[in-house]
Amino acid sequence: MDLLSLFPAWLLEQGPAFVIVLPLLMGAITAILPSRTSAWWVCLIVTLLCTVTSFGLLLQVYSEGTSVYTMGGWDPPHGISLVLDVLSAPVLLLIAAMAVVTTVYAMPSTIAEIEPKKRAPFYAAFLLCFAGLMGMVVTGDAFNVFVFLEVSSISTYALVAMGAARDRRALAAAYNYLILGSIGATFFVIGLGFMFMETGTLNMADMSRILAELDGGSRVAKVGFGFIIIGLGLKLAMFPLHTWLPGAYAYAPTKVTVFLASTATKAALYLLFRFTFTVFDPSYDYVIVVLTYLLTGVGVVGMVFASLQAIFQTDARRTLAYSSVAQVGYMLLGIGLATAAGIAAGYLHLLNHAIIKGGLFLAMGAFWYRFGITRLSDFNGLSKTMPWTMGAFMISGLSLIGVPFTAGFVSKVNLTIAAADKGWWWAVAIIVVTSVLAIIYIGRILLAAYFGSPPEIDGEVVKRNEAPLMMLVPMWAMALLSIAIGSNILDLGDFFVTASERAAALLVGSGA
Amino acid sequence: MIDFFQINPGLWLILAGLICALVPKGEAFALVRKALVIGAPILAAVMIFQIYTSQEVLAGKITIGGLELTTLRIDNLSMVWGYLFCLIGVINGIYGFHEKCRITDSSALIYAGAAIAGVFSGDLLTLFLFWELTAISSVFLIWKGGERAYAAGIRYLALHVLSGVLLLAGAILFANTNGGDYTFNNIGIDTLGGWLILIAIGIKCGFPFLHMWMQDAYPKASITGTVILSAFTTKMAIYALARGYVGVDILIYIGAVMTCFPVFFALIENDLRRVLAFSLNNQLGFMVCGIGIGTELAMNGVVGQVFVHVIFKSLLFMSIGAVMYRVGTAKASELGGLFRSMPITAVFCLIGAGSIAAFPLLAAFVTKAMIISAVIYEAAYNPGLYVIAGMLLFASAGVMEHSGIKVPYFTFFSHDSGRRVKEAPLNMLVAMGLAAALCIFLAFPWGGYQMLYALMPYDLPKPYKPYTVDHVVFQLQLLFAAISAFCLLKKFKLYPAERRGEILDFDWTYRKLCLGITTWIGAMWTRLSAVTTRVRNKAIAGAGRRLYQMFSPAGAMSESAPSGLAAALTAAMLILVLFFVYFVR
Amino acid sequence: MAEKNAPEALSAKELEERQNAHPFAVPFLWLGKQKVIDNFIWLPVLGMIAMIALGIVFPHEKPAPWDVIPGSWAVIGFVSYTFIVLCAKPLTALLSRPEDYYGEGGLPDPEYSTEHTHEGDHHD
Repeated sequence: MDLLSLFPAWLLEQGPAFVIVLPLLMGAITAILPSRTSAWWVCLIVTLLCTVTSFGLLLQVYSEGTSVYTMGGWDPPHGISLVLDVLSAPVLLLIAAMAVVTTVYAMPSTIAEIEPKKRAPFYAAFLLCFAGLMGMVVTGDAFNVFVFLEVSSISTYALVAMGAARDRRALAAAYNYLILGSIGATFFVIGLGFMFMETGTLNMADMSRILAELDGGSRVAKVGFGFIIIGLGLKLAMFPLHTWLPGAYAYAPTKVTVFLASTATKAALYLLFRFTFTVFDPSYDYVIVVLTYLLTGVGVVGMVFASLQAIFQTDARRTLAYSSVAQVGYMLLGIGLATAAGIAAGYLHLLNHAIIKGGLFLAMGAFWYRFGITRLSDFNGLSKTMPWTMGAFMISGLSLIGVPFTAGFVSKVNLTIAAADKGWWWAVAIIVVTSVLAIIYIGRILLAAYFGSPPEIDGEVVKRNEAPLMMLVPMWAMALLSIAIGSNILDLGDFFVTASERAAALLVGSGA
Repeated sequence: MIDFFQINPGLWLILAGLICALVPKGEAFALVRKALVIGAPILAAVMIFQIYTSQEVLAGKITIGGLELTTLRIDNLSMVWGYLFCLIGVINGIYGFHEKCRITDSSALIYAGAAIAGVFSGDLLTLFLFWELTAISSVFLIWKGGERAYAAGIRYLALHVLSGVLLLAGAILFANTNGGDYTFNNIGIDTLGGWLILIAIGIKCGFPFLHMWMQDAYPKASITGTVILSAFTTKMAIYALARGYVGVDILIYIGAVMTCFPVFFALIENDLRRVLAFSLNNQLGFMVCGIGIGTELAMNGVVGQVFVHVIFKSLLFMSIGAVMYRVGTAKASELGGLFRSMPITAVFCLIGAGSIAAFPLLAAFVTKAMIISAVIYEAAYNPGLYVIAGMLLFASAGVMEHSGIKVPYFTFFSHDSGRRVKEAPLNMLVAMGLAAALCIFLAFPWGGYQMLYALMPYDLPKPYKPYTVDHVVFQLQLLFAAISAFCLLKKFKLYPAERRGEILDFDWTYRKLCLGITTWIGAMWTRLSAVTTRVRNKAIAGAGRRLYQMFSPAGAMSESAPSGLAAALTAAMLILVLFFVYFVR
Repeated sequence: MAEKNAPEALSAKELEERQNAHPFAVPFLWLGKQKVIDNFIWLPVLGMIAMIALGIVFPHEKPAPWDVIPGSWAVIGFVSYTFIVLCAKPLTALLSRPEDYYGEGGLPDPEYSTEHTHEGDHHD
């Protein structure tokens, strides 16, 4: 069946602009909508439309190759172009799909977490953030990246701050995030400035071409590269620039945490892929040096340290947040390998981790929703009181560890093989060690939930109190997807692996 | 459609054994089991007959993970062992007919089936599989010997599993040096893998210092168990030697030592089943030596010796088993004068004893002479082998001592123990009678030993003639001299009286010495750990505390860093990146 | 001989022995007589002498070095045998230990034993 033929031609043609403009416009409208329900519906419909469009675009990219959309008919390099290729299209779909999942989930969760009068603005901010992330991925113009980065970041600060309704620490976290995010964005834009100085263009394809002509460019380009790496590094929570992340993840509303964890850092990582391999190129000395020594170094150190920190956390959400930092380390290691296999593994882990961590945070939100639980010590007996939620948590958790037949296993194995192929046996050893650490920090939670007994309140054992259906469906969707990828059900595993290999081929091929 | 001719005949026995294990208890069902125990080897023999075509048959090829396994190879060498194991399986089945024991029945069948399947395996990996299966299935026969056999069974199992592991390791190493070829043909000792396999086989067929399990476990098994055990394991190992190590010189010396040392142990041992186990070891020495010589005559001798040896050794074990069944013990010091009560058994035992001592007209006369003659013929080119021939003759006198005289004499004659018991049960007598008839038939000068010759792998242009006057005369010289010596020594009271006791063997090293050392180390460790535990606990607690201090929410690494610090960190990272970009090449 | 084997010609002890013995064994009970045992030695000795004589008449077709000595095989048999048996005493002293040396019970045979040291199942 040719799915692509089901999409109307105008949608595919205008799709790249549509997925940015629609949430931007509807975000503005949502902000003034009177009722919470209507805002939710708008949000759901917008994200659904964007998902469908993204899916169509992905299929189009796979069948017809890279597509370039020129805004207003102005050709690049003077006009703004939107570029979709095998690297950006899967991330685009990922962001849109996660937006749908979290929106479904938000229906019950916002009731518990957001003050009533702030709910419509909450959805508005979410749509803006969503638009920003979509824009970051889809645009082909470097300055545009900065603009969308700021759009998404500023709305994210607001979203994190809205967590204050349940935990005042959200304000401090949002403030911290704001400062560091702004520094990151500033670094990024400074880097762009240097690049503009060097190449005289802001279009990424153009910039790449001119850099290649200059054979990597002068010191200006090197400094620009440094600023861009650090700027993006802050955004993607590269160790040790991750300090904003645990707080933001832990205290933001659950919908936001899930969305941030599975898309925001991933969009930044996507930009790292984009800049290091297509705009710049590993064939330039300074790029490969940074990849091999710096990104790999901080990736590996981050894997170990963040995993250790995850073990010692008392707040389960912070455990997961530190685990995210560690997982970013895996992806950085994949990039640092700079081989096709390594990049593919890093990219695959990017996709898989979004699904895994999304599932975990969704379950975590449900625990809070029913029992107000975030502390590890309160997890005792949760498997009896919330068996379905805990089941989804367990599956995603096992996937995070990398148990066979789950998504995490596939990407970790691919990464291990890539490292071994390059002869980096120490990296293999570290992957194994951190997987063991992951067993410890996830196992701790699972042990308490499955072997502890539910607490007693007033002499009565707490009764079973399952999460609402609208929470269970998203989290089980994530858990089942994770298993489907790991066990190659419906060929999903192959689909993901192929997607990552095609992306890697694009990146490595462009340098060759 | 399954082609039954592709299936290793041993698997039929294993299948029958599994069915046996499922047959419920009860008198009627016991008959079903017995029918299986006796019928399955016959079926297997028929299948061998159907498959074998006087040429090498390779069948049952399976490809697993890129390795092609040949699960069935019947040629003129393995065929002999196949028939032999089927034959002895039937005899054992009849001998154990009275015993209503499900475990014995099924494990005997699986054990025999594994031995047959192992002999017919065409590659080392299949061999390994059945090699281990013989060990695992047979240990139940030992454990049926009662509580006191338990530890011996464990030791037996440990050594045999070790043997299997060595075989596997050797096979892998050998195949690696051989281009990934696992075919089981000549192996030799040029490679490390070859050595490992040789040691693995050495454990199974009781090379000196690797032999202890035999005398340890066999006498402790149940009565039928010992009879069954004595037939298969060691002969399977001899087959493996005959297949892979023909003409390997070191085997000549190993074999010669193997024939001699058990003689002394058998002399002072009181438990007659243990005496027979030593005697078994001594007989294996003849075979190993013959394989080491490796000439066509020697190999024919070895094959013939294996065939008759299994029969007369079983006969001896069966007769002693029958005595034990009636009297309750197999200790020489407790027996004597039993020919009054068990005359038929006594006759069978004498036939067995005469066979093993190689009296003319009895089984080993033909085959043992072939091996010794092969050594002497070879010695014409290599005079050093006369020493070996002398050792074999010495050992022949030794065989006469422990199996030819000691076993029947102390059981059935000697001083009268006063025990008056019933003759052995009918089924035992039938089994022993069959074996005894074969002992006589296979050495019968007119048409008997020729049947044995028909089984031998090589057609010699001048077949060895056993019944020449000189051979008969000199063999009788040896035997009569030995008996005279016995009578003289007895007369002058120089022959030692049988005394109860545990005779130390090489297994002392692990049953006492190593155990002692281990116990001592254990005690020392306990003392040491008492001292170290405190230190260790402190260190672990310290490390845990450090980690906690660093990584816990309150720890140094996890304090929510002030934005300013994070900003400074960012700057530092930038400097680091710029450093890399500029200065690292 | 006939009347000697007739029941009435036997002593009470011999009668009792016959009654206890297996019927097949009755004609061979003389094997247990002391006189037979004492004189049994002549059988192998005479056989050996005969064979040595024959060995001189029919020498080995492919002689071993020691075949130059007449009766060498008898000598080998006799000396080996004697040597082995005479080794028993020192070996026993060296290697024999009480039956419970290993603590696993070399004796008695629990399931079958009729020894008075142990009560076990009899097989009649």
